[in-house]
Amino acid sequence: MFSRGSKVPAAVALVASGLGLLFSSNSTADYAAHLDRRLHNVHCSFIPGMPATNEAEPCRVAMYSPFSALLKDQYWGGIPISLFALGAFGFFAAFSLYVLLAGERASRRTLAFFAAIGVTPLLVSLVMFTISLTQLGHLCLTCVGIYISSALLAAGAVGAWLGGRDETTRPALSLVLVPAWLAALGITTLAPAIVYAASMPDERPYITQCGEIKQPKIKGDSPVKITGARPVQPTMLFEDPLCPTCKAFHDRLVSENIIEKLDIDLVLFPLDSECNWMLDQPLHPGACIVSKAVLCGERNARQVLEWAYAEQEYLTRAGKAGEGVLRAAIKQRWGESLLRCVDDKKTDVRLNNHLHFASENNIPVSTPQMYLGKRRVCDEDTDLGLRFTLAQLAPEVLK
Amino acid sequence: MTQAVDPAPARGPGGGSNLGAKAALVGLAAGVLLCAGSALAVRSWTGTAARNLVEPEKEKPKVAIADQAEVAYCTPQFKEVLERVLHSCGLAAEGEGARRGCKPADVKTFASISDDDFNALFTPLKDRGGVVLFDEGHEELDDTAKKLLEERWYARKGARYFFVVARASKTGSVSKNNALSHRRANSVMFFLSQLSGDPEIEQKVGLLWLGNEFAQLSKEYCAWPRSRPDEKCDEEPINRSAFVSWVDCRL
Repeated sequence: MFSRGSKVPAAVALVASGLGLLFSSNSTADYAAHLDRRLHNVHCSFIPGMPATNEAEPCRVAMYSPFSALLKDQYWGGIPISLFALGAFGFFAAFSLYVLLAGERASRRTLAFFAAIGVTPLLVSLVMFTISLTQLGHLCLTCVGIYISSALLAAGAVGAWLGGRDETTRPALSLVLVPAWLAALGITTLAPAIVYAASMPDERPYITQCGEIKQPKIKGDSPVKITGARPVQPTMLFEDPLCPTCKAFHDRLVSENIIEKLDIDLVLFPLDSECNWMLDQPLHPGACIVSKAVLCGERNARQVLEWAYAEQEYLTRAGKAGEGVLRAAIKQRWGESLLRCVDDKKTDVRLNNHLHFASENNIPVSTPQMYLGKRRVCDEDTDLGLRFTLAQLAPEVLK
Repeated sequence: MTQAVDPAPARGPGGGSNLGAKAALVGLAAGVLLCAGSALAVRSWTGTAARNLVEPEKEKPKVAIADQAEVAYCTPQFKEVLERVLHSCGLAAEGEGARRGCKPADVKTFASISDDDFNALFTPLKDRGGVVLFDEGHEELDDTAKKLLEERWYARKGARYFFVVARASKTGSVSKNNALSHRRANSVMFFLSQLSGDPEIEQKVGLLWLGNEFAQLSKEYCAWPRSRPDEKCDEEPINRSAFVSWVDCRL
């Protein structure tokens, strides 16, 4: 591909490392910004230099996912894996620069080493790409930027090696340098993560500051019971089946196997003004009908809820198209009898009781909300800080 | 990090090996700079977050708090009467001494407003409420009355209190009309208890029973939703009634 002795592969590797540095620093900066427990815009583009935006749902999904960081039980939000990319791309940038400047003075062993380690970011990227597609169902564009950088780096590193491997005029090199380089790679890769872990703020004083539920029982009614396989923690959830954040939260509970340890009282809180008087206009049209379907699910309530989450995009479109389309979808999946229950006045009353329960407790008009026993889990602790918060407030859930 | 000092043959005076060494030094310097720079950047990001964490947010996004409905007709005057009704008629009082319902004398005492002003307070409830009509001298609910009550009861939405204002005939003795009005209020209450199965219904329903000495309805109220829409309506039948409605006001 490249002529023998060409400097182009090293230049490609250098540019790729620079891009990798840029994308991984964007990703790390976004992650670290959230340590202040506020909502921030997120970078979500593979075009270098694009600013952070509030329309970054796939990148937010990736950030909140269990695959975005390590040691989430020990550190609030965990140690983001982008930190390792940041360190590694720094090493590769320096090494590429050396190979570029040294030209024909770079030994064949140097080039072989460069090729061998230059493909490792690509291997990691392939793993993360597969996880994105199979587990998250979204491609985070900043992550795609890192994948592209990794691929270019691998191409440059392998290209440099292929171009120089037959050149006998290149100098020989002591084997001793290889472990030294590996050690340098290890140090530079770990350094940002160590600094991050050492300097991140202590979130423990804040996770118990979001109040308690005043009245834990619904008057004259009952919540929907969702009991995991080994329930150890009484939990109350306020959810809207057509709320994307609720779906993401539910997916986290399932994928991290937390849901099986919870004894859940589910309170339906649809953000749809058709039944919810607390809104001027429907945030999620059709959510009232789908909530009634969950109530009517009785013993299968969890299955109905998970169906609603799985089909959320379609049901949201159906909700906007009109009640008939939504009712047809419910009937097709759950049959005539469940639809009759949805239409029953008593189901209206039940849903209304759930909404009144929310109003009597003066909870924030937002979903999802989680209460461990009576204690409210802060919103930011239901996403980035979920595992850390559970480790602090209900450690048996993570055992 | 790249400390390769290649012992390669020289390619001219001071040539190749110097170049290799310089490249190695530049690479090493770049590596150290990038590593230190990354660490400093990370330290700066976490430091900013730590400072923000302890500083109160200047423009904290306001989050609505769930509460009962509060609509335009909940004027201070309406709320004043509502509150007096709730306290005087037992809804807001709890425990053994709690009273259920208000008789005309109570209403006169606590409302402290004229008949017309009292009725006018309920005008905004025209579409939300309904008038259940009774036969002369009777308190039994017919099927149309039950249907209207059911419709209105199930249309609770965000309201906390359900009002029942029973009235008796315009004619007849005061004591007889008071008793009849009371029985009509109780008929409605009994039906609602059966319909809802709610053990705490007494915390929701406020009962008033009026005789012909206070707040009688004029003929105009015939235009309100009635349980007998096809029957002839004037001041006589419209006062053999119970006005029912959820009230969308907070107290």
